[in-house]
Amino acid sequence: MSLALSNVTVTRGRNETRTAVFADLDAEFPAGKVTALVGPSGSGKSTLLAVAGALLRPDRGTVRLGDVDLAALNDAERARMRRTRIGYMFQSGNLLTALTATEQLLAAAYIAGHRPRRERRRAADALAAVGLGHRLGHRPDQLSGGERQRVALARALFLDPDLLLIDEPTAAVDRTLAADLADLISERTHATGCVTVVATHDPVVTAAADTELVCPGALSPRPAADTSATG
Amino acid sequence: MSYVGDATSPKQRSEGSTVFLALLEIRAARGRFLLMGSVVMLVAALVGIVSGFTTGLGNDTVSALRGLPATHFAFSADAKSDQFNRSLVDDRTLRAWRDRLGGDAAPVGVSITRGTTDRGVDIDLAAFGIEPGSFLAPPVSSGAPVGSSGGSSVGSSGDGVVISKKIADKGVRVGDTVTIDRFGITMRVAGITGARSYGHVPAAYLPLELWQRIRFAVPGADPGAEAPRQFSAVALRTGGADVSLAEMDAALGTKTVSREGAFEAAPGYSGERITMTSIQVFLFLIAPLVVGAFFSVWTVQRTPELALLRALGASRPRLLWHSTVQAAVVVAAGAACGGLVALGVGAALGDAVPFSLPASTLAATMAAVAGVGLAGTALTLRRVTSADPLTMLGAHR
Repeated sequence: MSLALSNVTVTRGRNETRTAVFADLDAEFPAGKVTALVGPSGSGKSTLLAVAGALLRPDRGTVRLGDVDLAALNDAERARMRRTRIGYMFQSGNLLTALTATEQLLAAAYIAGHRPRRERRRAADALAAVGLGHRLGHRPDQLSGGERQRVALARALFLDPDLLLIDEPTAAVDRTLAADLADLISERTHATGCVTVVATHDPVVTAAADTELVCPGALSPRPAADTSATG
Repeated sequence: MSYVGDATSPKQRSEGSTVFLALLEIRAARGRFLLMGSVVMLVAALVGIVSGFTTGLGNDTVSALRGLPATHFAFSADAKSDQFNRSLVDDRTLRAWRDRLGGDAAPVGVSITRGTTDRGVDIDLAAFGIEPGSFLAPPVSSGAPVGSSGGSSVGSSGDGVVISKKIADKGVRVGDTVTIDRFGITMRVAGITGARSYGHVPAAYLPLELWQRIRFAVPGADPGAEAPRQFSAVALRTGGADVSLAEMDAALGTKTVSREGAFEAAPGYSGERITMTSIQVFLFLIAPLVVGAFFSVWTVQRTPELALLRALGASRPRLLWHSTVQAAVVVAAGAACGGLVALGVGAALGDAVPFSLPASTLAATMAAVAGVGLAGTALTLRRVTSADPLTMLGAHR
């Protein structure tokens, strides 16, 4: 199952202040591979993640995840897609401060309608898979930056999403941890077969990705062929 | 075909409740929630205590009237306030009512006086003069009813009085003789009824003639002198009788009011009610503002986390439920603890002050506190639903 964007246009502002973040963008992201989304600040990386992740509805175009056009869904339907088929890993982890590492995963499961008690063992296994088997009961303020990112990755993958979206995963960690994290993202993507898109400035992450997509930017949209993911 | 709505998909699930998260958040921020719960508890306790005093003072003022099985009282029309003390009606009025209602019309006289028993116990008493055997005669828990032969130094046999349990609690017994101060009128205690009082003074039920001698007595005069055949009001038990109160009032020069309306005639009743109700109203205004202010701050603090929950797929209704559950836990726990505190205060006060907090009143009061507290959280709900999941992404921060 792949993610395909077709003729996607996103604008910002209203009336005379209206500007295009990107216009008529075509892109395809294959399953089981990590696509690094690169480009200078303001080139639309985060906006592309928002559109791909059903957080933002484009002005025009289609965003197909399998046979579902995310751009055609209403607010409640997009929320349902986010909790069942899309995993997010935000900058700096963005964990819920009140919850332990295990509970971060259970929270995602609970929102999606699972019963936390039944998921507790699976959550422990998922955290062990990202090297945090010894941090199950720790809260975010008891974890390092790298550990928080790993918890966020485990949470994003916990419900076996079809699409994994990651925003600047190494912004708050050093180079060694960044390389470990990039390898972990690749390893989990290949193991689960999900579509993974990583917005990043970090060459370490880009080097570990399977493909790379340069974000076109608002003022100089490239032809669709140039913006397609390349191997 | 859209995935959404495809019930056969293994990933199709209804959205889960966020109660689990709400409770975990309370656990993690237990210090703040405990502080807020304590404030709610104190407000609830204060409301409960004030409610206990309102009921207790009300009982202390009108329980004797409430205990009379009358539906209405006909006062003289010229008595505008404090009617039981100021109103005087006569036998002509009573006869007119009896022509219509028969035994369901009975004279009643009310006055406050004081006396001393033959064993030296000083007592205040709200003297209710009634006809022995009329429907106004109170049931007795011990001894004999009003007008039974108790013996009296001033009249014939059959003028025994029935006292409230509150007077008995001061050490007055059946068989004791009470001498009314200054007038020298004596009477014998024939029986004891339940705890009833009027104007914060414990009630005693006297034969009407004895009451009239006390009401119209002049210090130094002959205690056995005949008194005017007047009384405070005609007590009515209208039931389903087809009688026009307004026509009767116009014909007899009376003003008939319901039993509950007659409570206003009890000394101090209106003033006490207004005072206590004002305090309660202010507390009910304060409670939602305090709870609302707390949850406003709490919501602002966790707006990023609400946005994260939205990004993870929680819908707006779920976030509303999430916040409402947290508020409900705090105000319910606070109100419950406050109710227990109010009960404890009532138990500690004992009979020293008029305090009454029946379970039904307590439950209704605490439910009201919880209700207005929850209403206060409504102030924050718009902010909860407006949490924007886009703020989770770098370019949108």
